[in-house]
Amino acid sequence: MGRGSLVARILGGAAGLLLATGLYLGLVVVPPDAVQGDVQRIMYVHVPSIVTAYIAFFVVFCTSILYLWKRDLRLDAVAVSSAEIGVVFTGITLATGMIWGKPTWGVWWTWDARLTLTAILFTIYVGYLMLRAFAEEPLAAARYGAVLAILGFLDIPLNHLAVYWWRTLHQPSSILRPGGPSVASAMLLPLAMNFAGLILLFAYFLVERVRLERIRHRTAEVRLTRGRRG
Amino acid sequence: MGNWGFVGLAYGLALVALVGYLVFLKGRLRGAGEGLAALERESGRRTR
Repeated sequence: MGRGSLVARILGGAAGLLLATGLYLGLVVVPPDAVQGDVQRIMYVHVPSIVTAYIAFFVVFCTSILYLWKRDLRLDAVAVSSAEIGVVFTGITLATGMIWGKPTWGVWWTWDARLTLTAILFTIYVGYLMLRAFAEEPLAAARYGAVLAILGFLDIPLNHLAVYWWRTLHQPSSILRPGGPSVASAMLLPLAMNFAGLILLFAYFLVERVRLERIRHRTAEVRLTRGRRG
Repeated sequence: MGNWGFVGLAYGLALVALVGYLVFLKGRLRGAGEGLAALERESGRRTR
């Protein structure tokens, strides 16, 4: 088996380069926030992480709909791979958010609408992965998983709008908001670098994770052929 | 813990999660690849 495709290597290399530059800008070059001080620098990892997780779950949503329509296992392979990566990025968002919350709000965690819906999002897709891992019938698991993934995606628009619908401790969106970003332009560059870096890293992980699914499918086929031959 | 302590903790955790996932993924890829290669070798011998 090869050591990964050229595309994967290019994606990984570009992601590493962008993230290193973004981190240097965010941690060294950009001045601290006027209100929060240096702790605001957590934004450069927290915000790109959740946007990457949203993209990952959007991929799961689209490929799950397509899977239910076409019943093509290659689509299911992309869905399950993207869900796993989305869970990693949601976990990072929750952890960095808690660390940011302690010095700014005085608590690690509060049952605020935004935080609770993010925790629910994490739980839904962990549940999806557990369903995929423990189901005995792979085709049924793919079908039920697709339904769960589509329903689970509804949490994302709810999560985005939660800060407008309810009184929350979490601030409203600073980037994806009507009228454009409210963040100072000096802070936008490292943020954009880390956005691009994490999205490329997601793409790299996805290419590699789908490759793993392909190997697993091929292994199952070989076993099935051997079984038939006796 | 000072402000930079929280910043270090957040970035450290994110780094550990991403590198940990990469290592976990590569390990599974290696294991699955070796398993498939062994299975195909064995199937090839049986066919001959």
